[in-house]
Amino acid sequence: MTSTRANAIESHDVSLIFGENAGVFNQTYTLPEGTILGLIGPSGCGKTTTVRLALGLYHPHKGTIRVLGANPAAFRPDHQARIGYIPQQFVLYPNLSVTENAEFLASLYGMRRHQIRRRLDELLDFVDLAGARNRLGRQLSGGMQRRLMLVGALMHDPDLIFADEPTAGIDPVLRGRFWDYFRTLRDQGRTLLITTQIVSEAMYCDYVAIMRQGRLLAIDTPHNLKRRALGGEIIHLTLANPADLAKAVGALRRYPHVKEVRYVPESDRELYVAVDDAGDWIPEVLNVLEDPDDPNIVVESAEELALTFDDVFIRIIRQWEDEPIDQTADAMMEREPYGQHSARTSHTTHPDDIASHQ
Amino acid sequence: MRWLIRIRAYFLKEVREIRRQPLLLISLVAGPLLVLVLFGAGFVNSNPVLRTALILPDDLPAEMRTQITSLVGLNFKLVDRAYTPADARLALANGDLDVVQIVPDDVFGKLQRGENPTILVYSNAINPLVEGWIQYLAYAQINEINKALLTEQTRLAQQQARAVAVRITVGANRLTELERELSRAEQEAIRQELSTLRALIVQFRNAIPPENLFAGRSEDVENLRARADDALQSLDEVDAILASGDLERSLEELRDSKELLALLDQQIAIFVSIAPETIVSPVQQRYQNIRTESIGQASGAYPAVVYYAPGVLALLVQHTAVSLGALALVRERMMGAFELFRVSPANMVQLLIGKYLGYTVFIAVASAALAAAMRLLGVPLQGSWQLFALLLLLLTIASLGVGFFISAVAGSDSQAIQFAMISLLLSIFFSGFFISRDSFAAWVAPITALIPMSHGVAGFHDLMLRGITPDPEVWIDLGIIAIMTFVLVTFLTQRQFRRA
Repeated sequence: MTSTRANAIESHDVSLIFGENAGVFNQTYTLPEGTILGLIGPSGCGKTTTVRLALGLYHPHKGTIRVLGANPAAFRPDHQARIGYIPQQFVLYPNLSVTENAEFLASLYGMRRHQIRRRLDELLDFVDLAGARNRLGRQLSGGMQRRLMLVGALMHDPDLIFADEPTAGIDPVLRGRFWDYFRTLRDQGRTLLITTQIVSEAMYCDYVAIMRQGRLLAIDTPHNLKRRALGGEIIHLTLANPADLAKAVGALRRYPHVKEVRYVPESDRELYVAVDDAGDWIPEVLNVLEDPDDPNIVVESAEELALTFDDVFIRIIRQWEDEPIDQTADAMMEREPYGQHSARTSHTTHPDDIASHQ
Repeated sequence: MRWLIRIRAYFLKEVREIRRQPLLLISLVAGPLLVLVLFGAGFVNSNPVLRTALILPDDLPAEMRTQITSLVGLNFKLVDRAYTPADARLALANGDLDVVQIVPDDVFGKLQRGENPTILVYSNAINPLVEGWIQYLAYAQINEINKALLTEQTRLAQQQARAVAVRITVGANRLTELERELSRAEQEAIRQELSTLRALIVQFRNAIPPENLFAGRSEDVENLRARADDALQSLDEVDAILASGDLERSLEELRDSKELLALLDQQIAIFVSIAPETIVSPVQQRYQNIRTESIGQASGAYPAVVYYAPGVLALLVQHTAVSLGALALVRERMMGAFELFRVSPANMVQLLIGKYLGYTVFIAVASAALAAAMRLLGVPLQGSWQLFALLLLLLTIASLGVGFFISAVAGSDSQAIQFAMISLLLSIFFSGFFISRDSFAAWVAPITALIPMSHGVAGFHDLMLRGITPDPEVWIDLGIIAIMTFVLVTFLTQRQFRRA
């Protein structure tokens, strides 16, 4: 996906090193305005540090980062007023009511009382907290506390929102609602950078960055990341007759649009066939196999192999472990628009990997 | 305008948070008040109660025994049980007694021989203040006993002096008669009379209290023994003349003797005319607290509960401010709020000013409530209430500064609480709340000066109880603490803020 929007964040070769192999390294990425970027990775992989660098809470040891056109280390109040932040933990005050907590945060941004009242009504409706406006912070459930944090971050109507694991520890239904809020905010033109450990949430994002040990392993749209992980898309074929398996492999390998053909472990009549686009190429693959002249193979079923994003995440991590990314690769990410640098992950596909995710 | 809105944000946040904890406010006001009421109701004496065994010698006259027992009982709580010296020491070692006093044998004999009978006072005190009290009370008691003994002995001497005086008159007449020609038998009769007089004077001389005990008290009494000795010597000479029978050649000596007897007679007349108490204690004291003139009451000093009330108020203000301040920054830092503040356009100075304002309002409300309740206990405000309010404000700001400083250097909640407790302990010992600041060595003075409560106690005492303006030192020192801590806290917190 090529974006023509201006960038809310531009990070070039940014490193911040806390100690041996701790910190973030050579981060190069851009975040177009009006989109959601999900930072996904295990605990301690550097997601929060990446957010703090963009917020100006940390200063990079190397590289440059610009947020809303300014260096975060030198943010002026007018820059800060355009940014909203939901930290990882609930930092609002247990002895203040929902309204008072929100008023406090809004006042830090210099909002006047009448502005606060109007905005608060809007936001409490937006996150379904209107009925709890007088409830104290300590009387709120975990999910309500998170929603209150979201309200606090949105009170001053920011353009760029950072949310550090906003859905951690809450139930799937509420998580879904949170992503609905985020997508609504995105649709209103806001830019969001959201970190999460829940890999499946990647599908809600416009762009996903996968992180590991302080490094950005890949950044792309969820769709393109899947393609990168698998070397394209996979057609899962089941033959009617196991005796045709070798013949089918030979026929498919001769067909130029098939990138790779792999056996399905512990099966004598199934194959994985890698192509650029499964939807486009299933009819062609069937034509090749069922050609009455040769090889005349009966295919019992042919369907696109649907992998979860967890599978994609694990595959990308494994690919990186097999061949760690270097600075050149990261730099490439910056030069190419998202979705145009998938080649580097296409050669490591292994049938066992796929089999393990069945 | 936005600058002020941000300060108001922090201010309102603190006020609302505290408002949501009514128990905190109630305990801050009611707690110290209840302690004061309890103190006022329960406090009976500032002297320690010392369980004392008094061991008296068997030869002590009953009257003197009663008098000494009564004198010792003034300062020490005498136990009913009779102890031997060995038993008493054992009881002392076991903690069953606090003091043992042993009066020696033959007190009067020793006094008449010019010896110093010694009352032994034993204690097993571990508290230095109690030991000081025992030594002081024993000293005061010995003075009283000395006075009683001397008074008694003087009274006895005066009785004898009166008898001697009668005989001196007779003796002087007899000496006059000797100037005439008398028969040998008449001379012998006079010699016998003079001998009786001599024996009386000797007895009287021995009854005169030792000169060293009278030294500097009464010149008349001091010379009495010398006069008696002179009279005795002259009577001996007369006796020798009478023995020789050569009176005509000794008329001059007889006249000298008569003069010496007359001199002794005069001294005795003076001696018996003075009350024994006056001879023993020529200088008396009369105490007056000048406050009684203005308030028209018998006692000028306040009841203990009133006297300690200003200290309690200063303690409440300082401890509340230090505790609130100590937890304020460290808690926000640890919960991650600093991160949120740093992302916002608000700065650290706004945060500090907002917190100072919020806590100051809260402490002002608590202090006003406590001060009003103290009025009900009879604690006055003699001085200007404006100065009182100003001192309260300055003490609050200085104490908050100390609290914020603790918060800036503490690594956790529990550390902050520990530091606050240490500051409380330091204040109780060194602020002059219980122990006078003058009791400490000069090098402690700077430490004392750094404790806001030291100045609070002194200032509140002046304003509330004396009705005078506190020393400039009180205002200046509190101002210095307030400014110094604000600068330090701003510097330290700014650094932490940058690292949030």
